[in-house]
Amino acid sequence: MAIAAGAYSISTNAQNSKDNIAGDKTLQEVVVTATGTGHLLKDVPVQTEVISHKMIESYGGKSLEDILEGLTASFAFNEGDMGSKAQLGGLGNNYILILINGKRLHGDNGGENDLGLIDPNNIERIEIVKGAQSALYGSDAMAGVINIITKKHDTQGLLLENTTRYSRFNDIRQRNGLGLRISKVQSYTSFQLQHNDGWQNTSKEFAEGHVVPDSRNKTTNKFTNWQISERLTYNPTKNLELYADGYFYKKSINRPTNGNYASCDVYTYDLLYRNASAAIGGKLFTNKDKKDYISIDVDWNKHAYYYHYTSKTYEDAYIDGKLEHGVPFYPGKERLQADQQRVMAMLKGVFHLPYANTLNVGAEYRYDYLKAPMRTANGSADDNTGAIYAQDEFNIIPWLNITAGARLVDNSRFGFHFTPKVSTMASLGDFRLRLGWSQGFKAPTVKELYYRYLHVMGSTTFFNMGNTSLKPQTSNYFSAGLEYRNERFTASVTGYFNKLEDMIALVNVPVDELPKDVTTGYLGDGSGKVTARRYKNMENAKTYGIDVNLSYNIYKDLSIVGNYSYLDTQANMYDTDHDRMKKAVIDGMAHNKWNASLVYGHRFSTLYRFGASLSTRGSSKRYYENNGNGKHYQIWRINTTHDFGKAGAEMSYKVELGVDNIFNYKDTTMRPYHLGTNNGGTSIYASFAIKFNKGKKIFNHNYKQNKKQDEED
Amino acid sequence: MKKIKIFLMMLLAVLSFTACDDDDDSKQSIISEYSMNDQQVAAQKAKSGKDKAVLLVAFGSTWTNAFAAFDDTKKAYEDAFPDADVYFCFSSDICINRASAGEHGESRNYYEPRYLLHAIGAAKYKTVYVQSLQVIPGEEFANVVAAVKKFANNGYVKDAHLDDEYLKTVEIHLGMPLLNDLDEVDDVAKLLNDLYQDEAAQGVVAFMGHGNPDNYDSFKANIRYTQLEKALQTYSKNYYVGTVDMKDNYKQNVMARMQNNNITSGKVYLHALMSIAGDHAHNDMAGEGNDYWDASEPTSEDNSWFEFFNHNGFTSVVPQTNGNPLGLLELPTIRQIWINHTKNAELLEDAYHSMYPEE
Repeated sequence: MAIAAGAYSISTNAQNSKDNIAGDKTLQEVVVTATGTGHLLKDVPVQTEVISHKMIESYGGKSLEDILEGLTASFAFNEGDMGSKAQLGGLGNNYILILINGKRLHGDNGGENDLGLIDPNNIERIEIVKGAQSALYGSDAMAGVINIITKKHDTQGLLLENTTRYSRFNDIRQRNGLGLRISKVQSYTSFQLQHNDGWQNTSKEFAEGHVVPDSRNKTTNKFTNWQISERLTYNPTKNLELYADGYFYKKSINRPTNGNYASCDVYTYDLLYRNASAAIGGKLFTNKDKKDYISIDVDWNKHAYYYHYTSKTYEDAYIDGKLEHGVPFYPGKERLQADQQRVMAMLKGVFHLPYANTLNVGAEYRYDYLKAPMRTANGSADDNTGAIYAQDEFNIIPWLNITAGARLVDNSRFGFHFTPKVSTMASLGDFRLRLGWSQGFKAPTVKELYYRYLHVMGSTTFFNMGNTSLKPQTSNYFSAGLEYRNERFTASVTGYFNKLEDMIALVNVPVDELPKDVTTGYLGDGSGKVTARRYKNMENAKTYGIDVNLSYNIYKDLSIVGNYSYLDTQANMYDTDHDRMKKAVIDGMAHNKWNASLVYGHRFSTLYRFGASLSTRGSSKRYYENNGNGKHYQIWRINTTHDFGKAGAEMSYKVELGVDNIFNYKDTTMRPYHLGTNNGGTSIYASFAIKFNKGKKIFNHNYKQNKKQDEED
Repeated sequence: MKKIKIFLMMLLAVLSFTACDDDDDSKQSIISEYSMNDQQVAAQKAKSGKDKAVLLVAFGSTWTNAFAAFDDTKKAYEDAFPDADVYFCFSSDICINRASAGEHGESRNYYEPRYLLHAIGAAKYKTVYVQSLQVIPGEEFANVVAAVKKFANNGYVKDAHLDDEYLKTVEIHLGMPLLNDLDEVDDVAKLLNDLYQDEAAQGVVAFMGHGNPDNYDSFKANIRYTQLEKALQTYSKNYYVGTVDMKDNYKQNVMARMQNNNITSGKVYLHALMSIAGDHAHNDMAGEGNDYWDASEPTSEDNSWFEFFNHNGFTSVVPQTNGNPLGLLELPTIRQIWINHTKNAELLEDAYHSMYPEE
């Protein structure tokens, strides 16, 4: 894994050397996720995969999803009415922890995150640590941690920037930024907008017992989201930084309202989300060389989900405290479904100790609150979790590093749980051998325990139900990796095995397992069918795989990168009907995934730099429990970048032109069967960026400066 | 730790947007919905000049062929009750919502029983027939009874109450489901035999009813399926009646009974014993192909009857009309039993008990 990252950094450096950014030839990517301290990628003791800024730029992805799909072989996405769901190493959203600069992204408390919250134009790099390998962020990240490191907007003076991208299906992505620094106070304000009209790969759908030719269900629904954010920082002294930040985000997903068939493509409401956050914190460096620090962060996040009615809709509602059926909600009205709020407080410190030890300690407190008047028995539910952790990096002898840590979690319902983690790295010349073992612990979320709702997906209607008798999930993750790297070539092979116990999944259950009062309104006389599903602890699940990453720097301007991932899963569920264990498929799993990029970059003059990349990605058949398997696919993309203006000039311009899905591959499998990919076919895109920066920059991406401070925010 | 917790909870309280309570809005909406239905029904009554109303209550559907069956049923009722205004309603909100927004053909506005009953009351029809289009007097029928009770007792939200003097005098008749009592089981068995005796002469005729799961079995209505099978078997041992949801009467139990009668091969004609042919009839009964067969779990509820019998040595046949299996409302002789139920519906004497009992 780390190797892929290394590969990227090689190609990065190949380009960088022409750009006079850090002239060193060696592998200089710095990563922070696993240890919380800055490490050169080649020396990081915990397997870390990095998608570098240069790789992101040369790929020209429109979204985080696009970038993760195209530049790592570990990720897959499942289509859904409410947006796509990520999958890492065979495990879904619930098990993936997404961090922005080391802080947990807040999303659905079932674990689903809205990736639209992250502006791809603002990503500096992405670090991926698989398995619950780091003690720093939470043992619930059983699939792994993705840490999105955003660009720094430090400036002396004024910074103005705008990026606008347009492509097929009226896809618009825009970002505007305004940075200001007055003495010790710095402000950065941004506004981003994302929109797509949605598309339909096929109008065929299996509904009403036969194939209907003119369904209006889309492969991907129309959506619009925008976000405004602000970050203020204040440096009262050289060693102290204080900040306050926050954002407001709104997203709407529009579904067909003018459907042809009441049974499958008619919806009477759109989906609407409003998120907000506010945070304050500070970081105090406790010694002169800024190696040791103590930081504190307190943040509040809100993720609220509404129906926005498009035609009159009858629903249950409370009137004078009494439940009434058939209450009409008229077009234009909004109705809260779930408001999920979280408050977190984090205290942490990094201390460099004698005998080559680096100690990372911290404490966290987290309070989750769910308000869902119609979706929980009592209207709301809450949960709180405290945790303390310590992790030590110890360079026993120059060629051997051991990083060991543990996290002690105290959940209000499930008590204390201790999860140890150990990683070792041996450096033998150009070879690195890494071994890791970690335990994970994930208490059932408020949603898994209490939430209940009707989920209509085309012609299929589910009644999903929480389960208060769930047990926490636990995992054991083992990995072993061998990496070789020299200045032009890197190769790595990593094998992993993730064993999960009491895995929680939403599974089909006999209808009489649900309490009578919640379902009678949905169970008919045979005219429609509601499938009852409930969260259950599947007895166990195993995922295991091998990741291979290769990169070769053909010559200074040209490099080639390839990633391959093999995955297999086994899940067993206790079948209460037959008193036996039953094999279950982990939805969306594919045995083979791959991607490769040929990257070229050259500065032809002081005023113009050209970059181009040819990339491909693919997947073998994807397996699902219900509604068929997804087809294998392979997609190609070409991207070109054109930078105008001198490095460091006040004004700079960048144009990006490219074609995604060059050979127009479209999976036209009809609904409700699964697709391998929901890509809508060939799409030409263009992006234009303009940047104005007046005043002396105090930051550049120079390793030597970076190295001085532990970059973990 | 506790202090931190209190601090954080206070912070949360300060930062949380005050969520507006939708109670008042909902109340206004429901009142305006009553009023809209009232106006429509009043207009119909003014136009027809009739003082008798028939309200047909179905669970509802989103299937195109089911809409047609409901339309035909309403028409048959209009022919059978020339002196009454006939209204049709769905008890399922989801079905109402989706039917009203569909574009193929006309947009179909169905309303809940409560709205139409309220409107019928507001229009002061002297005689009201409420007819359940359910097959057995089970869970769904219990909901129809509850709606009638609410009407009779003026149990609507404040500001939408009906005239109590009217409620004291209105004649309410409740029409029972198809298989209400044992006599009707015999009647239906006879009519089904008239329709399917040719098939029964060539193989098994298996009916698929819905049934209620054990803990939903209001009035112990599931027994009607067993009684119907017994009544049908007086005509031929080739008749069987199973269900989707009734415990111990799934497809595998049907097959076990067939095997006990030494029937281990041959044709199995599959028919829906449901008022209309919707999801269960098309998928759970007639579903054909790999999507409807998981060999590792033959009795899975996702395996269709069609595939189940085919994979157990029988030859499944699903007789179809215009590409669909038929529901019971589409069989004129069976539909006539429902109509007869309405005609003979008992007057609910002393239905009016108290004013606003639920407040």
